[in-house]
Amino acid sequence: MSWRVSCQNGCSLRLMGRSGCSAPRLFMNLAPKLLVWLLSGGIFFGCFSARADNTPDSDIRQKLVQAIQSDGQAQQQLLNELAESGAKIVHDVLTAWIREGVYLYDGPDGSKIPVILDDQLDPEGKARAIRIIDGQFIKDASGKELRFASADLNTAETDMRLRSSVQQSMDTLALSAPNPEERNSAVLKLGNSQKPRYIPILQARLTKETVTAVRRSIDEAIALLQLADPDPKMEIAAAQHLAELKSIGALANIKSLMNKPGCPLDVVKACRGAVQVIDNHIAFVNFIGTIFHGLSLGSILLVVALGLAITFGLMGIINMAHGEMIAVGAYTCYVVQNIFGSGFGFSITLPISFGGKMIQFGLHIPGLNATGWWFESYFLFAIPLSFLMAALAGLAIERTVIRFLYRRPLESLLATWGISLVMQQLFRMVFGANNVQVNSPSWLLGHFSLNDVTFDYNRVFVIVFAILIVIGTWLLLTKTPLGLLIRAVMQNRAMASSLGVRTARVNMLTFSFGSGLAGLAGAFLSQIGNVGPSLGQTYIVDSFMTVVLGGVGSIVGTVCSAFGIGTADEVLQQTTGSPVTGKIVVLVGIILFLQWKPGGLFASRSRSLD
Amino acid sequence: MKSKLCKWLGACATLLLAFNAMAADTIKVGILHSLSGTMAISETSLRDMLLFAFDEINAAGGIKVGDKSYMIEPVIVDGASNWPLFAEKAKQLLEEDKVAVVFGCWTSVSRKSVLPVFEKDNGMLFYPVQYEGEELSRNIFYTAEAVNQQATPAVDYLLAQGKKKFYLIGTDYVYPQTTNLILYKYLLLHGIKLEDIGGGLRKDDSGKVISAGKYTPFGHTDYQQIVAEIKQFAAGGDACVVNTINGDSNVPFFKEVAAAGLTPADCPVVSFSLAEDELRALPTKDLVGELGCWTYFMSIKSKDNKAFLKRWDGWLKTEDHPGVVKEKRAVDSPMVLSYDGVYLWKEAVEKAGSFDVDKVRETLESGSISFEGPGGKNTMQKNHHTTKNVYIGDTRADGQFKILKTFMGVQGEPFLLKDLDEKLSAMK
Repeated sequence: MSWRVSCQNGCSLRLMGRSGCSAPRLFMNLAPKLLVWLLSGGIFFGCFSARADNTPDSDIRQKLVQAIQSDGQAQQQLLNELAESGAKIVHDVLTAWIREGVYLYDGPDGSKIPVILDDQLDPEGKARAIRIIDGQFIKDASGKELRFASADLNTAETDMRLRSSVQQSMDTLALSAPNPEERNSAVLKLGNSQKPRYIPILQARLTKETVTAVRRSIDEAIALLQLADPDPKMEIAAAQHLAELKSIGALANIKSLMNKPGCPLDVVKACRGAVQVIDNHIAFVNFIGTIFHGLSLGSILLVVALGLAITFGLMGIINMAHGEMIAVGAYTCYVVQNIFGSGFGFSITLPISFGGKMIQFGLHIPGLNATGWWFESYFLFAIPLSFLMAALAGLAIERTVIRFLYRRPLESLLATWGISLVMQQLFRMVFGANNVQVNSPSWLLGHFSLNDVTFDYNRVFVIVFAILIVIGTWLLLTKTPLGLLIRAVMQNRAMASSLGVRTARVNMLTFSFGSGLAGLAGAFLSQIGNVGPSLGQTYIVDSFMTVVLGGVGSIVGTVCSAFGIGTADEVLQQTTGSPVTGKIVVLVGIILFLQWKPGGLFASRSRSLD
Repeated sequence: MKSKLCKWLGACATLLLAFNAMAADTIKVGILHSLSGTMAISETSLRDMLLFAFDEINAAGGIKVGDKSYMIEPVIVDGASNWPLFAEKAKQLLEEDKVAVVFGCWTSVSRKSVLPVFEKDNGMLFYPVQYEGEELSRNIFYTAEAVNQQATPAVDYLLAQGKKKFYLIGTDYVYPQTTNLILYKYLLLHGIKLEDIGGGLRKDDSGKVISAGKYTPFGHTDYQQIVAEIKQFAAGGDACVVNTINGDSNVPFFKEVAAAGLTPADCPVVSFSLAEDELRALPTKDLVGELGCWTYFMSIKSKDNKAFLKRWDGWLKTEDHPGVVKEKRAVDSPMVLSYDGVYLWKEAVEKAGSFDVDKVRETLESGSISFEGPGGKNTMQKNHHTTKNVYIGDTRADGQFKILKTFMGVQGEPFLLKDLDEKLSAMK
């Protein structure tokens, strides 16, 4: 297979095979392709080269009014000028105009004042009228705002010719929007319109456009519009070009051209080729996308289960309060966010009266009122604090309840379940029964696209985050003196104790470390889902499933089973097309697997386990 | 001397007042909502709104029947988000407390559960929450939005905006399933091609479509794959998403939509289960510009609405009912439709001159009962649904809606499926 390097649009480098690959060949050649794909372009850089808009608003409004009142050549001239302005008000008024929504109000001096009606209707279906010239409401002599029904006013007349030229100015207008993403979507809209008359407008824009991604879209849109050209040669060229661009958006249009009755044979052939290439591309995008989604779901399972792999897997405590440790981490995030913002406070009144007085206590932490990047950084502080708070909560639970139950797993199940209920009620009392809002910092929002596969920043973050905490846990357990003690105590408590290890202290530290890991999971979950009193309940089953499948007592097993479940779930969702069926199949698979290997993926063999 | 006279006059006044209070009879009215369990978050707001309406009516002199005034005495029972319990509580209200009317229920399944009880005991229920239709009981009055007062106007709006591709997604239960099935047929009828309706179809053995759209269970959290699918679906332009996801699954869904870069400008999402009350608990930052469609928005700028919100705030400050949360309250469509229901019933009782269920029903069915509510004029129709205004708005960062379009006086029509089927087969 030979590769052709083609340099397109100045800076994006793309590599592609000479001919369209068939599906099996595509996958056979996956490895080199993957490498190429990672190196290649199509990257959407959100370049924020905002175009300065120097024309003052009042001038634009003046021109709008003139355009509405004039006619013929002068009107056309004004519309062209307005189209270049890029102002929002032009868009709003022109939209209203072609929908018969610009009215002429008879002013007190007999002049005709162009107005648009407010969106807000009163019960009689009337609205206030906004003067286009200055954006003020029309008032009567006493300064009272007047209300009109659309039937009360005379519409500013439009005809077919005017409407089409207004529409054209609006389309040009959208192409010069300051934000490259908006320009991008305007370009795609024109491309999908299938009206070849836009080709010159787009070509004119192409000479001015500087952002690579938008240039690529314009290229794609022009090809899309050429598809609708009556000349078969043009159609073939366009189809081939779209195939080269691997335009997913063009698929529907190519198909409808192909199925049009009376379509020449060679056009159909070219279209079929293009559809083949694009279909292959979609399959490839879905394949990579699904693997990425699987990794990210697996990472979430991993971070929520890792703490449990310690408290349940290593220590053997059936810890039903694990979910609430996750919630502690998530709520810590919420509190830190509020402290960086306007402050956090709560007050609880206990339903018990003491000497005629209700017992009441509360707390108020004043906020830092941070803004900008300082506020955005709250999450960096929240991560270690989530670990710390959950670890402290774990410590308290271990000292007060669990240390009495090390040899009695069933009692520990009941006791931790009780603790989980108590903690859920505590969350309700302090934070309320409703979910609380945790806003993601802007550096976690958004995405980047590589060859049409979308990578969300927060998903990339969770994968990196999961890898880091797994490495951290592994280092702690295998490379530190504490880790050595932990492993010794967990393998044989009595032996370790007789060798002089303070097992009680090691137990305490291990349990709070496991709880702390759960807190970290909570910090992350607050960025992708709900934070509420029952947050822990959502994840407790998944956590146990992951740990049991991986093999109780094996961290490697937990890692493998988390990524295995995650990927299997997403692949099944993709193939069955239904999230529920995917989940059911995964669960059945796990049950069957555990029948076959009851110890899980990595069953630990130890003489101390009876 | 003077002070003695004052005392005497005072005593007389007290007596007179006591006499007046005795003259005013009371009438028992039931409130049947979940005050505990998963639905409590939504349904307690309706209880609060009903208590407000009752207090308001009582303060204005109660309900006048003949020459007598009756004060409303609320009987509050807790359905506890437990559907069979709803039926038991309804039975208790009708047979033991002998209430004149019941205001209540949120989920369709709770309504279906109490329906036989109301029909057997000939009770009267006012139901205030947007629902899927295909039901008409002589004992239930639906002040709720029917599908043609929320879902189809929203789709009309999107069609008018030039949208050509519709992706249907919802939570897997009766309301989203039925609504999406209706929308699927409605879209076909409006010339949308089969391949431009996203989310998938399920057919029975005979090839008849029984379900349209993508469904996730309650509490679902992983929307990566679905949003990736929507993104590809929307790649060709002019696409939109119709969202009937219920409850807090909306948070991960909208977070994923925002992260994947699906903007309202390119591919708007219109949601039927997110009103102002729900938005309080959602990260509105991720929802700015997405659409909602209801028969009431808190942001309606009419005089009636402003006065209503002022009275509601005033009531919250002074009321002393147990369990009413006073801070950070929002008002939304189900609450206002509960409020409208109370006044429609009051109007009908006063016109019929009786609390008798059959007489009140007859009056309500006459089509002459209407109420100028905060969301505009409500008129009870013969088919137990109301004529009201429908508003479409987009979400703002403060959790309110900016109104984009108003449909005035839309008549509620519960049975859409049969009509659509007939029209579709005629088209073929």
